[in-house]
Amino acid sequence: MKPHRRKKLGIILFIAAGLSVSIGLILYAMSQNINLFYTPTQVAQGEVGVGQQIRIGGMVKEGSVVSASDSLLVRFETTDYVHAVPIEYEGILPDLFREGQGIVAEGTVDSAGVFHASRVLAKHDENYMSQEVKAALDAAGVDTSGHPTSLLPPES
Amino acid sequence: MWLWFSKLGSPKWFYELSGKWLPWLVIPMAMLLIVGIIWALLFVPPDYQQGETIRIMYIHVPFASISLAFFPLMAVAGTITLVWKMKLADMVAKVAAPLGAWFTVLALASGSIWGSDIWGTWWIWDGRLTSMLLQFFLLIGVISLRSALEDTDAAAKACAVLSIVGCINVFVIKYSVDWWNTLHQPSSSFSLSDEAPNPPEVWVPLVIMIVAVYLFFAVSLILSTRNEILVRERRAQWVQELVEAK
Repeated sequence: MKPHRRKKLGIILFIAAGLSVSIGLILYAMSQNINLFYTPTQVAQGEVGVGQQIRIGGMVKEGSVVSASDSLLVRFETTDYVHAVPIEYEGILPDLFREGQGIVAEGTVDSAGVFHASRVLAKHDENYMSQEVKAALDAAGVDTSGHPTSLLPPES
Repeated sequence: MWLWFSKLGSPKWFYELSGKWLPWLVIPMAMLLIVGIIWALLFVPPDYQQGETIRIMYIHVPFASISLAFFPLMAVAGTITLVWKMKLADMVAKVAAPLGAWFTVLALASGSIWGSDIWGTWWIWDGRLTSMLLQFFLLIGVISLRSALEDTDAAAKACAVLSIVGCINVFVIKYSVDWWNTLHQPSSSFSLSDEAPNPPEVWVPLVIMIVAVYLFFAVSLILSTRNEILVRERRAQWVQELVEAK
């Protein structure tokens, strides 16, 4: 390689590396803002102000879903298996909404610690299989609860 | 090796060679596409959670994964343009940008349709979706930059720099689902066992579709590069002879 070409290539690689590092640092510094949702633990520990518009992400706690008989009002709890946050929502839930399923809800926390959701979205994991395979796995006692790992508390 | 490298840089040589390659790419592409689509639409078992909607994955994943190849491709071509001033590299970089924009749109659109049914929303500003949208805008930026500069060499240099910078976003897209919490699920890991999540009945047709779409990418790129060669080399003798022969 001719010296002037080698020099040019060196400059390009240097600029690319410098930019990557600076963008990496910016993204790292902003990671709390880039995260889509707060965990139930963060909300339960009061990291979020009352009335602040946020998203919360967790699993729908088994046995916690209560639907009103005369309206679309639904009460349930979302959990990361450390803390649970009660949620109130009036509206149509996604088809995938069920107990033990991951959800992301948008809304505000009131002073009593209840989350008033204006929108509830379903979050699924990256495991795909047929009903038969799922049934076989359940019969064999394999854990396929399908908890998206990002909804569970970090291992500590 | 350097001789081979500079030979590859000759548009005429590439035009002749790629003409011979094309049938060997088009025929397997067509066969795999037909097999893959029929398999995915008719024979893949419905998902235990998502039912029939899972079939969108067989379009979404191949297009999304190949659309991440464009910026690295344009960055390599751009580096070759900047350092060795090879004409062919800039031709590939030029035709790759609009193709990449189309592939990115297809990935975004198929993902939106999937999301509107399963998540309950067609769009959310999470790390994965936002960085993918950014890639689309970056590609539009590369296309506009090239058309804004009349001087071909200046346009080639400017686009090369933007492509190298845009490459960083590919890592952000790829690892967004691991670095931050998102609504989008992380990448699947596939299992060889019949009785495990993501068994072969799920991923074999997916692999067929991925290979088919990668071949489609290669064919589209080669065809548009050949077109660009003819346009830019229209005054060269070998192109004139080619035109007269037809």
